[in-house]
Amino acid sequence: MGLLQGATELFPVSSLGHAVLIPSLLHWSFKQSDPSFVPFLTLLHLGTAGALLVIYREDWIVIIRGFFSAAFRGQIRTEPERLAMLLLVGTLPTATVGVYLEHQIKVLFATPKIAASFLVVNGGLMLGAEFLRRRSERRAAGSGTTRREQEEKFGAAEHISFRAAALVGACQSLALIPGISRSGITIGGGLLAGLRHVEAARFSFLLATPVILAAGIVEVPQLFSPGVPLGEYMAGAVLAAIAAYLSARFLLRYFRSGRLDPYGLYCIVAGIVSLALLTLRA
Amino acid sequence: MKGNSLAIALVVLAVVFVIIAGLYYEGVLQILVTDPHAAHHTTHAILFIVLAAASLVAANFARTKTTA
Repeated sequence: MGLLQGATELFPVSSLGHAVLIPSLLHWSFKQSDPSFVPFLTLLHLGTAGALLVIYREDWIVIIRGFFSAAFRGQIRTEPERLAMLLLVGTLPTATVGVYLEHQIKVLFATPKIAASFLVVNGGLMLGAEFLRRRSERRAAGSGTTRREQEEKFGAAEHISFRAAALVGACQSLALIPGISRSGITIGGGLLAGLRHVEAARFSFLLATPVILAAGIVEVPQLFSPGVPLGEYMAGAVLAAIAAYLSARFLLRYFRSGRLDPYGLYCIVAGIVSLALLTLRA
Repeated sequence: MKGNSLAIALVVLAVVFVIIAGLYYEGVLQILVTDPHAAHHTTHAILFIVLAAASLVAANFARTKTTA
């Protein structure tokens, strides 16, 4: 479960969707209603957030410094200051929707069949984002250029508009629905906002860190409830951190020239196969 | 002047957010909470403190800057 969560949290394939689907398909005995499930998920999230903090440790130092300088000055002068404010603008919609609607959304949508259906929708959204992106690439660079040249026509995370950052942040809230991938939808949003693939992935991971970290920290007191096997859960968190670290490294390399298409196709196929299996079993 | 009016409005909004945060923490406000019987709604309170801080930052950006 730790490996699964750490890998699927960053791959654009919906960790929540897989967390709902896989235990059900493989008859694992995880029950989301179990009181110890939330502390377990909390530790897995902290492991993933820890991996992202390690990868982006230098970025976060300048972003935090930039945030305080710009906030006290009331003016943005440098790119890290702009990125810090973009991340703030992008994080607020998710934080608000998450605090108010996470429980209601989980109650409504956390069933295997609905998760599988939204996995198909997630795949469609990513393929749609890539379709629109290809059109922009043809307009920007014309035909006959290499992938690297096409990518160079697009911008870095620091150059996204504040409106686009808010929209990408709002899109991130959709990831509360099992089956919709946080990274998939924010990378897709970043592409539509004119970012290079690798920069869209970087913006997505930076945007995810405070949300994942906050969601984990808020639930920390539950870890010390009686009957929580902290040692086993810690092992899960370490595995989640390792999987998240390797996934992020792989994805950042992949998105130098790769696209969301394979993940979109995977989500559509996985969603349809899961739906078929769940229907046949019923 | 327009910038200063916006800045004042944002400061007022920040104060409102702080009050809402306090009400959630004290358990007085029960709007869209997971457990209505909980004594404190810490998560909601933290959210409103963050929104208050963001409003103050926005107010500082909106205010008219005086040149030295």
